[in-house]
Amino acid sequence: MTCPLVQPGTLGLEVTLPPEWDWTHLQDVLQQYFQLTESWWSPASPVRLIAGARVLSTEQLAWLAELLQKHDLVLANVQTEVRATAVAAAMAGYSVAQGELPTQAEPLGAPALYLNHAVRSGVEVRHPGTVVVMGDVNPGGCIVADGDIVVWGRLRGVAHAGAGGNSQRLIMALEMAATQLRIGRLVARTPANVAFYPEVACVQGDAIVLHPARDFGRTTPGGVS
Amino acid sequence: MGRIVVITSGKGGVGKTTTTANLGMALTRLGRTVALMDADFGLRNLDLLLGLENRVVYTALEVLAGDCRLEQALVRDKRQPGLALLPAAQNRNKDAITPEQMQQLANLLAEKFDYVLIDCPAGIESGFKNAIAPAQEALLVTTPEIAAVRDADRVVGLLEAHGIRKISLIVNRIRPQMVQANNMMSVSDVQEILAIPLAGLVPDDERVIISTNRGEPLVLEANLSLPGIAFQNIARRLEGEKVPLLDLDAPYNTLMGRLRRFFSR
Ligand SMILES: Nc1ncnc2c1ncn2[C@@H]1O[C@H](COP(=O)(O)OP(=O)(O)OP(=O)(O)O)[C@@H](O)[C@H]1O
Ligand SMILES: [Mg+2]
Repeated sequence: MTCPLVQPGTLGLEVTLPPEWDWTHLQDVLQQYFQLTESWWSPASPVRLIAGARVLSTEQLAWLAELLQKHDLVLANVQTEVRATAVAAAMAGYSVAQGELPTQAEPLGAPALYLNHAVRSGVEVRHPGTVVVMGDVNPGGCIVADGDIVVWGRLRGVAHAGAGGNSQRLIMALEMAATQLRIGRLVARTPANVAFYPEVACVQGDAIVLHPARDFGRTTPGGVS
Repeated sequence: MGRIVVITSGKGGVGKTTTTANLGMALTRLGRTVALMDADFGLRNLDLLLGLENRVVYTALEVLAGDCRLEQALVRDKRQPGLALLPAAQNRNKDAITPEQMQQLANLLAEKFDYVLIDCPAGIESGFKNAIAPAQEALLVTTPEIAAVRDADRVVGLLEAHGIRKISLIVNRIRPQMVQANNMMSVSDVQEILAIPLAGLVPDDERVIISTNRGEPLVLEANLSLPGIAFQNIARRLEGEKVPLLDLDAPYNTLMGRLRRFFSR
C-alpha cells in the first residue's frame, strides 16, 4: 500500500480515507497527521475527501470538516462511490464527485513535507515526496516517503525512502539508530552500536550501506544528488 | 474553576490508580479540595485503593441518568474532608458513558473543587478517550521498561492531537540498584525518548503494595516513607513549588557501585 493518506492533488489537498480502517483509528491518524503538519499546508487550502467505498455519516462528515477547519483547511469536495455518503455530503453543502475515481498519473515531484515535531510511537507518515523531520523519530514511529528522508534528530523508528521503488533515494539522520531502514525494495537493520555522528544511508549494489555524513559527498561518486 | 488533570499511561498496571489516590490525598494535605473521578468503567478500583469501597452507593451513571444528585454520588473521605470520589459503575462496559458526558461531569466537579483528577483505564480505546476528553492537562505514568515507554510515547502523541499540551511525566517503580547495574532504563533514558517535563520519580517499594492492599494511601502516614515523600513532592510540584528530585540513588551510589557501573559499560 503506497497510497499516501494525504497528498497535494489537482483540486487542492487530497485526503484518502481507507475503507478498511475503523472510524476511531482513522480519527486518531488524521488528528495526529494534521497536528504534525499544521504549519505546512497553506492556509485555507481546499480539501478533497476521497471516501471511495467508505460510508460516511452526516456526523462523521461534520467531524472531518471541523478537524480540517481547526487546522485552517476547508473541506470543499467529497468523492464517494456510496449513495448515502453522496447524499449526506450534498445535504451538508459540499460538492460531490460520485463514482470511481479516474486513476491519475503519479504526481511528479510532490513538495517536501516538513514535520516540526517529533514523530512518536504509533504515528505513521506517508508522503509522495521527500520528508524532513525537525526532531526525533521515536521507536514505533514510521516514515514512508517516495523521496528522501532527512531526520534532523535521532532516527529510532522505521524509515522507508524511495517507497515507490526508487533505490537512488537517501536516508540521513543526525543519529542513525533506526529499528529498520528501507530504501526502494531493500531492507536493513542498523548495527547495534550506533555512531555518534550524522550518517547517510544509500543503496550500493544490492545492499543498504551507511556512510559518515561528512565523507558522503567525497567517498560516494555522485555524492548527494 | 478547578484544574482538570488526567492520570494516564498507555500500558496497564504501571501505577495510575496508585498515583491518583496518593496525589489526591497529598493535594488535600496541602489544603486543596480534590475530586477523584474513576474513568475505569467495568474495572473500577480507585475506591478500593482509597479504602472507600463499602461507602459507594451511587455512581457516575446514576448521576447522568438523573437518578441521584452529584452530591449524593460523591463519597467523602472521613480522613480528609477535602477529598471526594465519584465512583464508576463496576458492572457496565466501557461504552456506558460518552466523552461528552465525562466532560459534563468533570465540569460540574471543577466548579466545586480545586482539582479534578481523572484515573484513566489502560489502553487507548474508548475508555481512554472518555478519560482524556475533559482534561486540560495530563500526568503520564510509566515504568522504566521499553514496552511501557513505547506505549507512553504513543499516548503523548494522542494527547497532543487532542489539544492537551501540558503533559508531565511520572516515572514509577524505579529500582536504582538495577539502574546502577545497567539492567533497567534510567530516568534519563526514559526522558530522552518522551521529551516531556518530569513531574516526579517514585521508587519501586513494597510499602506501595501494602498500602494498596490496606486501602490506606502512603501520604497519610505520620512518618512519610520514601514513596510517600515522592508522591507528596509531585503534589507540591503540581502546585507550582520548586522541589528538587528525590535522590533515589543515594543508598546505592557507593564507590563500589559506581566502579561496577563504570566497568560494565
Ligand atoms: N512504586 C511502586 N512500588 C511497588 N508496587 C507498585 C508501585 N506502584 C504501583 N505498584 C503496584 O502495581 C500494581 C498496579 O498498580 P495500579 O493499579 O496503580 O496500576 P494501574 O496503572 O492503575 O493499573 P490498570 O492499568 O490496571 O488500571 C498494584 O499492585 C500496585 O500496588
Ligand atoms: Mg487503574
